[in-house]
Amino acid sequence: MSKEALGQSRFEAVEAYLLGTMSAADRTSFELELGADGELQTEVQLQRENMLAVEMGGMRQTLGAIMAEDRERSSVTWPHYLKYAAAAAVLLIGALWWLTRPSLNERLYAEYHQADPGLPVPMSATRDPEFQDAMVAYKMGQYKEASSKWGKILAAAPGNDTLAYYIASAHLSAGDAAGAIPLFKIVGNSPSSVFRDKANWYLFLSYLHEGRFAEMRAMRLDQDSTYGERAAGILGKIGK
Amino acid sequence: MNGNATADISVPSAWEEALVRGDPGTIKQLYALHFPPVKRFVRQNSGTGEDARDVFQEAITVLWLKARDGILRKDTEPGAFLFRVSKNKWLDRIRSAAHRTMTVVPVDHNPAPGNGGSEELEERIQRLKEVYDRMDGKCRTVLGRFYFQREDLATIADNLGVTEESIRTIKYRCMMKLRAFRKHLAGDEKGTER
Repeated sequence: MSKEALGQSRFEAVEAYLLGTMSAADRTSFELELGADGELQTEVQLQRENMLAVEMGGMRQTLGAIMAEDRERSSVTWPHYLKYAAAAAVLLIGALWWLTRPSLNERLYAEYHQADPGLPVPMSATRDPEFQDAMVAYKMGQYKEASSKWGKILAAAPGNDTLAYYIASAHLSAGDAAGAIPLFKIVGNSPSSVFRDKANWYLFLSYLHEGRFAEMRAMRLDQDSTYGERAAGILGKIGK
Repeated sequence: MNGNATADISVPSAWEEALVRGDPGTIKQLYALHFPPVKRFVRQNSGTGEDARDVFQEAITVLWLKARDGILRKDTEPGAFLFRVSKNKWLDRIRSAAHRTMTVVPVDHNPAPGNGGSEELEERIQRLKEVYDRMDGKCRTVLGRFYFQREDLATIADNLGVTEESIRTIKYRCMMKLRAFRKHLAGDEKGTER
């Protein structure tokens, strides 16, 4: 098996051959080459098996989801007498919920927090694939992976407000408001940053998450033209 | 999936084509029709519903791979195939555990030559699972959508809110990670042979 790297265009040619998306002329020429090149034959075989692994994994996941649905359904088809036990359990759960229900700040945070949707296209200053890669992870809800990848880029480019803002957003979306606060503060205090207003709003929400009401009030975000109404609503509910 | 309808699994070969393309409706029908006898058998032989699901999943993987490779006999009846493979897998498991805690119920092991899970096929399935398990969530999503669900790059990019070029690059890099892992596995095998 070749130890050398496989270029993207070569990889895509093998892929098109295996998927049957090659033109007739390209296929004929590819097959001629394949007949005479042992390394290419190995490469085709390797890629075929890797694509097969993805397909098989997909099929097993589909079946796994069907089984999980069935498992859930069969677990609720109880004998008649167990309905009374279920009713008692519901009452008990209700009582437990009442005792352990979310606090006011947790409820308000859940009501007002909506994760930043991320950038639809890469920014020109951060065009490298690592940034895009992390952005895809972020959009897919893999916040730890995203912040770890962006963190490495930030170490090489400290002061980049885009990175600081999105790392903070990833922390907050992952539930780590304490980790997000210092970064949102930096961006919120940068007058030239396009993320400044959003950073201040998410800083406000981070404080809310942590129950740091005095710091929320000190921000005076209720005077802000964009976020003022929402901030005033929250401050009103926590008791200004 | 893939814009094709779910197959009528009572029609010979229709189910096979639909299973190969991973049609959820067909997989659901196969499960609904053929899992209950497997579950009954496993439960009668010291197992649980979860044990039954495990062996059924392995059996359907064998069926899928044989169909995907085009080596399934034309007259294969999926229910009989799945029951036979599940049963043999469960008997293998309880035999291997017999020295520990389980009680072996004597039932005939009934391998069907050329239509069950050969050792070579089992090893291949194991390798394919190892490769799949190597992938992170992002690679599974992008590669799964492209190679399994057969979505095009534009659809995947649009859905994830990134450019088509990003998806193309991610796909390439994910596949190169799998290639490197395969090379690593091949190196290990050579090392073991020596």
